[in-house]
Amino acid sequence: MNGPIASSPPSPVAGSVAPGAGGDRPDRLRPWHKRRLLPSSPLYAIVRWGAAGLFAALVIGLVVSIVSQSSQAFAHSGISFLWSGTWNPDAGDYAGGTLVVGTVITTLVAMIIVVPVGLGISVSLSELIPPWLAGPLSTSIEFLAAVPSIVVGLWALLVLSPVFATDVEPALEGLPVLNRLFRGPAYGPSVLLASVVLAIMTLPTVVALSRTALGGVPIADREAAMALGATHWQVVRRTVLPGARSGIAAAITLAVGRALGESIAVALVIGNRPAIPHSLLAPGATLGSAIVNQFAEASPGLGTSSVIALAGVLLLLTILVNVVGQLLVRRRGGRRLLGVRGAVV
Amino acid sequence: MRTLPTVQVALDGAMPDMGLAEVARRRLVVRDSARRSIRRRRMAGRAMQVICLIAVPIGVAPLVALVLATVSKGAGAVNIGFLLHAPTPSGVPGGGISTAIAGSGEIVAYAIALAVPMGLFIALFLFERPGGIASTIRFSADVMSGVPSIIIGIFAYAVYVERFHHFSNVAAGFALGVLMLPIMVRANEEAMRTVSVDLWEAGVSLGARRSRVARSVVLRGALPGVVTGNLLAVARGVGETAPLLFTVASPTFAMTLLIFNDATQPFSDAQQTAWGTALVLLALVLILSVTARMVAWTLNRKTR
Amino acid sequence: MKRHDEVTGQASNHATDPRAHFDDRSGRLAKESKAAADRPDPEVHGAAVTLDDVSITFGDHVAVRNVTLQMPARQVTALVGPSGCGKTSVLRAINRLHDHTGGAVRGSVRLGNLDVYGPDVQPEVLRSRIGMVFQRPNPFPTMSIFDNVISGLRFNGVRNKRLLREMGIAALHNAALWDIVKDRLNQPALRLSGGQQQRLCIARALAIEPEVLLMDEPCSALDPVATAKIEDLIRHLSGEVTIALVTHNMFQAARVSDNVAVFLLGDDRVGELVEVGPTDRVFDTPDDARTKAYVTGHVG
Repeated sequence: MNGPIASSPPSPVAGSVAPGAGGDRPDRLRPWHKRRLLPSSPLYAIVRWGAAGLFAALVIGLVVSIVSQSSQAFAHSGISFLWSGTWNPDAGDYAGGTLVVGTVITTLVAMIIVVPVGLGISVSLSELIPPWLAGPLSTSIEFLAAVPSIVVGLWALLVLSPVFATDVEPALEGLPVLNRLFRGPAYGPSVLLASVVLAIMTLPTVVALSRTALGGVPIADREAAMALGATHWQVVRRTVLPGARSGIAAAITLAVGRALGESIAVALVIGNRPAIPHSLLAPGATLGSAIVNQFAEASPGLGTSSVIALAGVLLLLTILVNVVGQLLVRRRGGRRLLGVRGAVV
Repeated sequence: MRTLPTVQVALDGAMPDMGLAEVARRRLVVRDSARRSIRRRRMAGRAMQVICLIAVPIGVAPLVALVLATVSKGAGAVNIGFLLHAPTPSGVPGGGISTAIAGSGEIVAYAIALAVPMGLFIALFLFERPGGIASTIRFSADVMSGVPSIIIGIFAYAVYVERFHHFSNVAAGFALGVLMLPIMVRANEEAMRTVSVDLWEAGVSLGARRSRVARSVVLRGALPGVVTGNLLAVARGVGETAPLLFTVASPTFAMTLLIFNDATQPFSDAQQTAWGTALVLLALVLILSVTARMVAWTLNRKTR
Repeated sequence: MKRHDEVTGQASNHATDPRAHFDDRSGRLAKESKAAADRPDPEVHGAAVTLDDVSITFGDHVAVRNVTLQMPARQVTALVGPSGCGKTSVLRAINRLHDHTGGAVRGSVRLGNLDVYGPDVQPEVLRSRIGMVFQRPNPFPTMSIFDNVISGLRFNGVRNKRLLREMGIAALHNAALWDIVKDRLNQPALRLSGGQQQRLCIARALAIEPEVLLMDEPCSALDPVATAKIEDLIRHLSGEVTIALVTHNMFQAARVSDNVAVFLLGDDRVGELVEVGPTDRVFDTPDDARTKAYVTGHVG
């Protein structure tokens, strides 16, 4: 069926001009990037390969230096450094368990806040609000993604924290049923405040990426649903949201990664108590906040090594999240492409 | 699941009463259901829409409050002297943040010097050599861009500070550069992908050297995307605190560190300085992002 | 067959003598339902579409003007003409898809006796009476083959599992797709070839048992073999539903349609309906000189 025209034709120009063409098969049968054309200038080749090599060295160097420097800590505490024990340098206790728990809790609470709010905003911007308002609104939200985390931290510490101590936290303690989560003195800096800060920081990213994903769902899909008698919300719920799910998953993954790794703003508002928090209003600590607070004053040797080991644990967590996220995106990706190809067969 | 004989008969061309009966019955079912459920469907949809719309003020309010607070509290601190004078100890009036601005500028300059050329060449590598090595590098760039900045700070500390036994803006620049690099690589490559492979092939087949093709075809086509991506990466680098924490000698040598340091001080003039610096930083970052988008916009219009 | 669903149960009792009970039941529905305007019209069982002096504008741009046209019930009416002459705009006016794209429709569009743009008409309910097939196959990419077919039923509030299955299978039969997909109903719809995807879209449109089927150049993205299958299908379906087929392919119009409406661009670049009538008559002895030029290949 596919004549010689349909199958991607080898460019006759590329084939005939190539002076370096030799070897076992004609140059025009090679993939385009492997064709032997004029020899690459040696300097350009060195620079390109050099840059790529340097990058590889950086990545490997980063992993190796973190691993090697944390070896002393792992030798001291064993692999259980990952999940057990308390961080108490004064008593010579170096273990990351409580910090891992703190990191997971703050990230989880932040996501519980940011995912519904972010999705709600994205759907509103892309489907519900008229374009003259949605356009400027989403542009402004995207610019807010650039607000440095230290500025968010400063605002949270000096403005939000007092409000939490006097109003928000007492109100939460008065909630029925849920108040089991919110016990203890309203103090301001707390696991909850840190989570809220993380939610505020990740919101613009989630909104920007999900909105793009929602907007990328083809009009043809929407009209197909509409023409079947779907209401506006049914169109959104059954075609737009599912069609955008890989993009939304990517947005959430990115947000999770950023929330796990954020250190400075969290260090300002979490209260820095390396223990399992008994309530969301209690102070806590995360891997990132502990690194910020402990690294400068860690005793040389085991102390420093243990802080770097915390960094290693954090690195592991974020890489895990990123890899899972990328697999998710790749598994869902490319299906629309397949459909288009099917249509042209 | 068995087939419905009536329908098959209909397909064969004959139109017996049974076939029409089926159609009539089914048509009635759908019409009835559509009519009966429309109120419920609309109400449920409206409820969900209201829920979505409620999220807008909930999400936007803190962001607006944060910017307004920074502007209102910072405006009181910022003046010409604030930008030009060196910091003074707490309690001594007349201090500024000139050292922090200069230090941040120096650090970012080092970072740019490292990351911009490397980002370009790595992206060219990825563009020209699709294959195993390239996809490995691409994958590591993706993973690297998700590595927390605090870890990159520790990496720079281990590579530089610990080895040479002193803190330095060069180490900080290195850290920021490593942080910006993966973002730049991916942005550059995306931009280059918009230049078609055909164009590259045409250039190379005309007998031009690869480096010349890279310069005059790929880079020219990708320029808007490259400039935008790099500017956004710089904007992100300028606002980073964690990579500088263990590499810069004093908090007065970088704006973000100064904010971090002064925010936790109990003195109101220190907090005032923190707000002022935050305002300067915020303005800088926003100017960079806006510029990035405007560059993309104007260059895109010019090349088309 | 035992049925638990109330609606189905009643309907199946009448299945032996469809016409009479259909009318009877419609009469009863009139007392039950307040939304009188959306009721299937008992007189025109496979309701005909009537366009009276219809003009469609997008902002300042007039896409097509003064279209007066009747589509006889249970026949294929082809809308032909060069691209940009408003055929698709006319088609989309019938199921009110312009409501969402800023197109303004003037004049009167009727489905049977129902004024499509009447004040009491709920667009969603109206659309559940009209199926639509688009230029490019557009099955819902995240749904399985079978979920695609029954998606319209779900949208319209049909929840009974047995009913969904029964009607979905019937629709796949109607679209001559059952034998191809019966073993992979749960696979993603995009695994099908382009022609099969388009037939899936037809099955999806048929599942809601439309009175009218709008087809917007359904073969433009397909190869000749797939096109022939779709054309066969159109012929088969025409005894059951009224079909409005937009095409720029004269031969296709000649092959499958009973009636043809020829659209051309006027002198001021606005689409116009120049001639309408039985296909044989219009192609053999066109009244209008422009039609003659167009069908013999001199214009467009």
